[in-house]
Amino acid sequence: MTTYIARRLMLMVPTLLVIATLTFVLMRLAPGGPFMSEKDIPAKAKQELLHRYGLDRPLYAQYFSFLGNAARLEFGPSYKYPDRQVREIILQGFSVSAELGGWALLLSLLIGVPVGTIAAVRQNQPTDFAAMTLALAGVSVPNFVLGPVLVLSFALSFTLLPAALWIGPESRILPVLALCVSYVAYIARLTRAGMLEVLRQDYIRTARAKGLAERVVVLKHALKLGILPVVSYLGPAAARVIMGSIVIEQIFAIPGLGRYLVIGAVNRDYTLVMGVVLFYASFLLVLNLLVDLAYSWLDPRVELA
Amino acid sequence: MRRVRLLLLLLLASAAGTSCVPGRADAPEASGRRYFGSLRRAHDQVFRFNLGAEPELRDPSTMAGQPDGRFARMVFEGLTVPDPQTLEPKPGQAYRWERSADGLTYTFHLRPGLRWSDGTALTSNDFLWTWRRVLAPATAARNASTLYSVKNAVAYHDGVIADSTRLGIEAPDDSTFIVRLEHPTAYFLFLTSFYILVPVPRHVIEQHGVRWTLPENLVGNGPFRWTYWRQNDRYEFVPSESYWDRASVKLEKVVAYTVDDLNTSTNLYKSGAIDWNPSGYIPSQYLGYMKPYADYRTGRYHGTYFYSVNVTQPPLDNVWVRRALNLSIDRESIARDLLKGSRDPWGRLTPSGYTGYAGPSPVRFDPERARKAMARAGYPGGKGFPRVSILFNTSEDHRRIAEAIQAMWKRELGIDVELSNQEWGSYLQATTTLHYQIARRSWIGDYLDPNTFLQMLTSGDGNNRSGWSNARYDALIERASETLDPTRRFAIMAEAESLAVDEAPYLPIYHYSTTELLKPWVRGLYLNALDIHPLTRVWIDHDWRQHEPLAGEAPR
Repeated sequence: MTTYIARRLMLMVPTLLVIATLTFVLMRLAPGGPFMSEKDIPAKAKQELLHRYGLDRPLYAQYFSFLGNAARLEFGPSYKYPDRQVREIILQGFSVSAELGGWALLLSLLIGVPVGTIAAVRQNQPTDFAAMTLALAGVSVPNFVLGPVLVLSFALSFTLLPAALWIGPESRILPVLALCVSYVAYIARLTRAGMLEVLRQDYIRTARAKGLAERVVVLKHALKLGILPVVSYLGPAAARVIMGSIVIEQIFAIPGLGRYLVIGAVNRDYTLVMGVVLFYASFLLVLNLLVDLAYSWLDPRVELA
Repeated sequence: MRRVRLLLLLLLASAAGTSCVPGRADAPEASGRRYFGSLRRAHDQVFRFNLGAEPELRDPSTMAGQPDGRFARMVFEGLTVPDPQTLEPKPGQAYRWERSADGLTYTFHLRPGLRWSDGTALTSNDFLWTWRRVLAPATAARNASTLYSVKNAVAYHDGVIADSTRLGIEAPDDSTFIVRLEHPTAYFLFLTSFYILVPVPRHVIEQHGVRWTLPENLVGNGPFRWTYWRQNDRYEFVPSESYWDRASVKLEKVVAYTVDDLNTSTNLYKSGAIDWNPSGYIPSQYLGYMKPYADYRTGRYHGTYFYSVNVTQPPLDNVWVRRALNLSIDRESIARDLLKGSRDPWGRLTPSGYTGYAGPSPVRFDPERARKAMARAGYPGGKGFPRVSILFNTSEDHRRIAEAIQAMWKRELGIDVELSNQEWGSYLQATTTLHYQIARRSWIGDYLDPNTFLQMLTSGDGNNRSGWSNARYDALIERASETLDPTRRFAIMAEAESLAVDEAPYLPIYHYSTTELLKPWVRGLYLNALDIHPLTRVWIDHDWRQHEPLAGEAPR
């Protein structure tokens, strides 16, 4: 087990190296630079800024010093917000994004898994059709439509909840809802599919045959295997829900991490983009590892090798 | 199918409509006025507004953007301050000043007992140190040119002179600050109110270095003290107890959110979360619908939107081609049909609003003359005219205008133009390095003087970006800068501008407007041409229903 984890962690190094290199190359291929503006910056000032951040050195030298710094988790100051270190920006943004994504994911599981289970148990009955129709609708409505509709209904037509901002518990409700609906739907569908397959298996028949209550059969024996597809989906879903809530963060003016990816790229804020991309990549890799570990725990037949 | 589409459209329209557009307007007040935003309000003196995009820099000496400047004006104060209504320079940290007869020397007298917000005494040496810092090459101040009219400033900033004591600024005693200029500068007192020139605390900067601008370290001399910051969320301020005019500050707290999304900002205003949705933060497609509301205000803004022509390559190096293009833009139709009257058509470079400056008469839509000019350039009826392209940064508004102009040129001149859009960074790269043919641009003036527009067309100016160079134009601008008499100076500038309008390196399109939403209980926040709003004397009037809006507070 330990050697497995160690090996997986070691394998992350070349992956991250490739990602870092690609990001570096792509950023530098994009025309423009961090110190361009609609209003001219005096040549002297621009020269000084480029020198200050080492951007006047040859590209390969910049690349190697960037790699060295990244290895020490040191990305330097943001070019756009020079009084802040990229690390500080990431940590502050991530704490907000993680809260938003955490709530959304939790809610998706709490609703999606039971709905999917019930639908599977009542396969091809009205409950199943209703649940799956709703799930289909949930998957189909993009959050940039759902977000404004929620704002319109609950913040403008009826002023029950804040229209935006991330201040106080009531401000969490609409963005979490807007973010989780598609995940609820997807998880419900995955659970249903997984459960349908498991419920047909022999050991379930055995369990029923020995007279176990249907509740115990479903919840104790079937669910454990039936949610495996959900578990494997959770890794990428967690990464996406936490880092990829850019649209929701924009609509609700939430100071999360996702927006820095966009702002950083538009501003050619090289250090910020590098920091956020590498952070996101590492986060995704670690989550995938956790998913694989959870897999072997839930299904003893899965061997970690 | 058609019915389904209609239904969808209706659904979308009602969704979009109620969030931002009338349709479900608030019931009119007893006064008969209708308001776009919610009229519920807590009974306090807390002013909430949207600062806009997150400020990049909080060090005033190095700032360049409008949100940055708004921050600076709250926490710092210069020698002079702009009048919130007229923008005229009024006493700030200096309570009086003298100008020498030749207009070259200004002597400022600071108020006695000035203090930084940490209690340290503020003296003329702080101004001396700050201004030297702005001009020091190592500071890399983007707006250092604000001080270029000071004696030896250009040479020092370019590193030709290394000795900062040779700059034309001195502090003979703690309360006197003397500035010597290279040439008379009519708008110099306005510049001293600009956020670049506010004093910064040497003792704090030397202690904390680049991190002096974090809320736990920052010390200012302005009406407010900065107490809280979360990036991309909000700034909070309370009145500064050490401010010389503390008694005039009535607000107890100011919360400035940094919301860059226009829809979100307008939603926050509508729901009552903010008192002020400043200019530029209403989605442009809704401007037309805002007109009937009493909390919507609009006025002229000191900026123009134009197409810049790269005059270094054929066929656009031919002045007759540029004249033809200029004459065949129907500005009226763009302003009326595309922009729904939210902007004024404009046919020259400098905007309106300079008392005493007449300027050249604007270019008007004249297809007949345009066709003649095109024929004279050697392309009668557009025959043989090579394909040229219009570059704009990605935006629906820019695209619509470009499409309209593309159609006008096709219709009037018979030429084919292609459109090309690029994202911001690429667009800037292309325009600064002259890798374009025709590009959308705009310019917002820094101070109320035609010079802030005309300067950029001088040869080699970093903002010229058209390759246009004209010795006579340069000489006129130079002469104007040395002229003390305002009438003569303006006459020379008008002559220069006529030259630029005639040669058409820039094709003006419209005049900017400020468009904002302001709750009726906010007092002391005026519309003005530069969209500069000192919050020092702003307050919340809880009995606003009993009071008529003050003159200048709500011009329609």
